[in-house]
Amino acid sequence: MQKYKAYLAGYMFLLPWLIGFFCLYLSPIVASLYLSFTNYDLLTSPHWIGLANYKSMFTDDYRMLDSIKVTFNYVLLSVPFKLAVALGLAILLNQGVRFLGLYRTIYYIPSLLGGSVAISVLWKQVFDKEGIFNAGLRYFGINGPNWIADPNYAIYSLAGLSVWQFGAVMIIFLAGIKQIPNDLYEAATVDGAGVIRKFARITLPLLTPVIFFNLTITLIQAFQTFTKAYIISNGSGGPINSTLLYSLYLYIKGFTFLEMGYASAMAWLLLVIIGAVTGLLFLTSRYWVFYSDGRD
Amino acid sequence: MLNKKRTAVSMLALAIVLSACSTQSNKTESVDRDSSAASAESGQSAASGKKVELRMSWWGSDERHEKTKRAIELFESKNSGITITGEYSGFDGYMDKLNTQIAAGNAPDLIQLGGNIKEYVDKNALLDLTPYVGATIKLDDFNRSLVESATFDGKLFGVSLGVSSSALLYNASMFEKAGVALPAGDWTYEDLKQKAIEISHNLGKGNYGVYDLSGDPGTLASYLGANGQELYRDGARHFEKEDIVRWFAMWSDMRKEGAVVPADVQVASPPSAVDKSLVVKGQVAIQSASASQIGGFQELTTDKLGLLMYPSGPAGSGMIPPIPSQYITAYEGTKHKEEVAKFIDFMVNDPEAGAILGSTRGVPASGQIRDALTATATPTDKVLFDYISHVSDTAKPTVYQQFPLDNEYNKLLQLTSEKIAFDAKSIDSAVDEFMTEFDKLLAKATAK
Repeated sequence: MQKYKAYLAGYMFLLPWLIGFFCLYLSPIVASLYLSFTNYDLLTSPHWIGLANYKSMFTDDYRMLDSIKVTFNYVLLSVPFKLAVALGLAILLNQGVRFLGLYRTIYYIPSLLGGSVAISVLWKQVFDKEGIFNAGLRYFGINGPNWIADPNYAIYSLAGLSVWQFGAVMIIFLAGIKQIPNDLYEAATVDGAGVIRKFARITLPLLTPVIFFNLTITLIQAFQTFTKAYIISNGSGGPINSTLLYSLYLYIKGFTFLEMGYASAMAWLLLVIIGAVTGLLFLTSRYWVFYSDGRD
Repeated sequence: MLNKKRTAVSMLALAIVLSACSTQSNKTESVDRDSSAASAESGQSAASGKKVELRMSWWGSDERHEKTKRAIELFESKNSGITITGEYSGFDGYMDKLNTQIAAGNAPDLIQLGGNIKEYVDKNALLDLTPYVGATIKLDDFNRSLVESATFDGKLFGVSLGVSSSALLYNASMFEKAGVALPAGDWTYEDLKQKAIEISHNLGKGNYGVYDLSGDPGTLASYLGANGQELYRDGARHFEKEDIVRWFAMWSDMRKEGAVVPADVQVASPPSAVDKSLVVKGQVAIQSASASQIGGFQELTTDKLGLLMYPSGPAGSGMIPPIPSQYITAYEGTKHKEEVAKFIDFMVNDPEAGAILGSTRGVPASGQIRDALTATATPTDKVLFDYISHVSDTAKPTVYQQFPLDNEYNKLLQLTSEKIAFDAKSIDSAVDEFMTEFDKLLAKATAK
């Protein structure tokens, strides 16, 4: 009886989390799996059509391939860019300068706003044909294109926008850098190693577990990007599908065309894609991630 | 022993969690819907001083938002106990949001809809207004065809908020500045081309004769009509590949002459957004719009704006008769049917409301309101009224049939237009793709 009470108390404490998990995560996930096998227009009840959604995704959807290409392009551009900026700033903010705490706070602030609608709107203004960015270029005699409305460049502005969210990644890098024992650097200095050599031979190898972690998280986030593309293209994914990120296309299918069954199937395909890419990353990790506790 | 207990406790916890998931509100709602006496009850509750809160959603320009809000305030002051909260936005994303709200069972009590009203009737999302016609909603001096356009299977699902027609909206001050004469009533696409070229040449860099309308469904529909064809009728398409090739070739010619807004500028400043339109800014002379939008556009500029019919072709004018621009409808799940009906009647029949709303949703459907408005018409109202009656006189008496998957067709046309305008594809291969996808949409629509 005593035990029973202890369990009950435990479950009561867990209850808020359990409700959240079951109502907000598990049941929608299960529902979406079911819906992916149906024809569901959101307003009338779904009816079972088997694998038809999955089949037409691969054979009969002229925007699907565009969308997947754009998404991979975006991931390949934005992930390395974001990680490099975050790592660079983490190293800078690890130097012994005055008011370091203040700088760290200031550099973290954009990340609180990075994913927001407001920044996307601002971004649209900055990279407009007559925006500040082009005004800056004109100062150097360069006549910049319309970065957002030109299908050749739109994806770059999107990738650039993602860098705004480097904050969390940067903090993790910073924590990782702090973990590296100082005596390694001292020994290297005694041996006459310069700044670059110390970075390449000490910082980078010892940081690989953190890089691996950040890479995985950033990659998954990048595949799921929605807000930026929606705001910048007015919800269209245009011009010429150049900003039609997978999640945006999924949204258009589900909420504009009212093909929620199809959209659910798309969501599951995205899960498989992300799973495959992450799995691949884990497989490669044994060749480049170095655990200093001798685990490898 | 221990294990059994553990299982029991987990089951209990699971049961609590799952029961917390199901929503209570849904149940009460369905009870309300079922009781046929609901309307009488809610009427009583309003009379006995109980507060009724309604929500109403619409899309439009700032001008329409202001006028609608003022009309709502007037209604509230005349009907104490009823408050109406407006949920308004531009057109972008309006339907997306509405679909989500309907699916979630919390759509606004009053919903503004457009030509896609049937879609929502088919999905049982709208309240049958027939029981309120006569007693609460008076439609006696409404044009019959307007009432019929929202009547399905003998039931009325919406009340027309006005009549409008697609149109070319032009900036008269730009024509004047460029020294180009305004087009006559029946002009041709050749005239459009000449005038657009002249305007852009005379006014110089950064000014254009016309927006790129090659991706505009209304303009293309009218072009096909002017050539004796139709986009869609009775489950089939009534045009061929070469018609579409000719259409895009015409716009490409104009683009080469610098008479058409370049693709990237058009994406950045789309004509559909009132606050971004370059016609309002005096940099483009002609765009496509719904005629009733002229008020919203005119409010943002001191340039004089006007309305023109689409050019004619070998088969005469491709204009279709004016159609109801928007309807006010009620959500099937509303709990205050009587109040909702009362507001619908107020919106279309109250003289004061009519004066406030003016022609922001087209020419009013009620004859009485229309006459009152004509007497006090602003110059912009007058342009609209003249245009609508002009179109009525010109258009062939056909019954317009909207393409069933309109949303997807519009996206397809826009994509094709962009591919050509940005030089990403040749006209021929882009149109090939367009035809294939159009036929697929057609097959999908008939399969439904």
